[in-house]
Amino acid sequence: MSKFWFFKVILVAWVLTASPIALTAPPAGDALDIAEYGGKVVVLDFWASWCVPCRRSFPWLNTMHQKYAQDGLVIIGINVDQEPGDAAEFLRAYPAQFMISYDNNGVVAREYDVQGMPSSFVIGRDGQMKARHLGFKVKRQDEYEAAIVAALQQEKVE
Amino acid sequence: MSRKENRSISAALAAATCTLLGSGVPAPVDAQEEPLWDFNTSLLYYGEDDDRVKDYSVSAIARRMFVDDRYLTLGLTVDGLTGATPSGAIRQDVPQTFTRPSGNAAYTVPAGVLPLDDTFKDTRVALSAGWQQPVGETSLINVGASASKEYDYTHFGVNAKFARDFNQRNTTLSAGFAYSFDSLDPVGGAPTPLTPMLDVGDTSNRTGNPDKDVLDIIFGVTQVISRNLVVQANYSYSMSDGYLTDPYKVLSLVDASGDTLPQTLTPGPSHQYLFESRPDERTKHSIYGQAKYFMNGKVLDASYRYMTDDWEIDSHTVDLHYRIPFGADSYFEPHLRFYTQSEAEFYQLSIPDSQPLPSFASADYRLGDFDAITAGLKYGWRTRNDNEMSVRVEAYRQTGSVPAGQIIGNQAGRDNYPDLNAIIVQVGYRF
Amino acid sequence: MRRTIGLAAATLLFCAGCSSMGVEPWERDILAKDEMQLTTDEIEAATDDHIYFSKEASSGGRGFGGGGCGCN
Repeated sequence: MSKFWFFKVILVAWVLTASPIALTAPPAGDALDIAEYGGKVVVLDFWASWCVPCRRSFPWLNTMHQKYAQDGLVIIGINVDQEPGDAAEFLRAYPAQFMISYDNNGVVAREYDVQGMPSSFVIGRDGQMKARHLGFKVKRQDEYEAAIVAALQQEKVE
Repeated sequence: MSRKENRSISAALAAATCTLLGSGVPAPVDAQEEPLWDFNTSLLYYGEDDDRVKDYSVSAIARRMFVDDRYLTLGLTVDGLTGATPSGAIRQDVPQTFTRPSGNAAYTVPAGVLPLDDTFKDTRVALSAGWQQPVGETSLINVGASASKEYDYTHFGVNAKFARDFNQRNTTLSAGFAYSFDSLDPVGGAPTPLTPMLDVGDTSNRTGNPDKDVLDIIFGVTQVISRNLVVQANYSYSMSDGYLTDPYKVLSLVDASGDTLPQTLTPGPSHQYLFESRPDERTKHSIYGQAKYFMNGKVLDASYRYMTDDWEIDSHTVDLHYRIPFGADSYFEPHLRFYTQSEAEFYQLSIPDSQPLPSFASADYRLGDFDAITAGLKYGWRTRNDNEMSVRVEAYRQTGSVPAGQIIGNQAGRDNYPDLNAIIVQVGYRF
Repeated sequence: MRRTIGLAAATLLFCAGCSSMGVEPWERDILAKDEMQLTTDEIEAATDDHIYFSKEASSGGRGFGGGGCGCN
């Protein structure tokens, strides 16, 4: 029952680290405490209903999910909306095939030192930060995809 | 707080597990496309009372978005102007006859009535185009051009602005300039300043097509103060060079008792009037501050501008808009504007015959000492097809006065300053 | 006039030192709203500018740029 194993790991991690969030990054931003994603490439994408470029990034993130989920890509769209309902309205217009999580108080955003909206962080199979990009430019989609592919191609370091 | 976040992250992780195990149903890939075109259109009516200026106007701005926050903006405005405007001559207790600016006809103003020149039927077409794009990671550039044409006035202009963000886009510094080259083709030709209004058909004191250049420069800083408050401060410099006089305006030449001197040479106007004269250069400085403050769904927009120039005009403007949401899909927005200006150094009600002619003189009420107030209400709503419509109705009132030292003799008993009362009605549709 | 320039320069210098003021990039939800932009309606602003330019001796002043969602 792997679902319950996940919860136990989070609870233990939370208690041990005394940190409010399971996904944390120390100020240096290198190693991440996402043990349950060991072996997977995680893309954390900070988005908001009021962020106009996010309307373009969502279809692209869906494409990435379709192409690379079987290779071990996990995309988590971290929503920073403070007004309830705004995120749901955005998702109705721009549906996401990837996971969405909610960071209404910006705690995770602060942990990751988000410099602008939207922001994307690529975390490798070894839990190390591989790439980050600020903003979403359609013309740089290939660049963003290349960073994901590079991270996927890396062997997990035991 | 932490437990709730923990739950939502956990729930997300649980959902992830479901997806990874293949139990999730993929959502359709097609998301709503962002519309490429954006239109802002309006119909405007501006009407002054007492047979004065009326303006009907249609405007449209079309904006087309290109990839990665690039925009092309095209604008068109068509105005139809009718009505009369004060010519600068003062009321008299006797009728007055004037030659029209065209020099082709004359018109008579009854005793006691403010002389209005009704040669004001005109259509104006104005076009603008602009291109905006990001520059690097934190900057923005905008370049544009404008042109307008009416029967006696042609304008061409170029403009550019640059803005750069700092402090995680909390601070923006901007700089811009606009350069205009305008040429006038006054009906009948531009009159030589401070020469008399002549008889119908006599254009001996008229010259050709004058022109003027205007350079405007602006520097600004925008600062996000808090989640609810953003402020802006700007400094503007404007330099106008060339023909700045109004070719249709006159001043009455008066005697020691303040009455307009009759014209002794006949035929011609009934009294003596001199065409006005303004300097050929004007430098203005303005500082402007604006704040937008959000409080529980309502937005207060407050701005202040101070202007001073080398014509010795000083002005203060306070402009307030307060947007109040009404239901989920509409809003009311009351508007209040206060304006005051001091008269130009060469503004005078009339020209006394007994003194040497001044270098510059104008009785144009728009260069005088007046206060103005605008009060209006706008109502806006989201239409059934998810577009925006709005209606605003405003009243504008100017009340001025002539400096006491300029009032001569019999002028004291009369209402010398032409007050202005106008209504503005504008309907807007954005889609 | 010198006083005006002095005041303007002081204001700009003061605001240039506003590096500690502001909000985090993820806290711009209210600032991103249409009604919180410095110019809410371009046509209304242009109309007013034109009317007051025609009837008064002052014009312009309004600037551009800044505020908003701060994206991209």
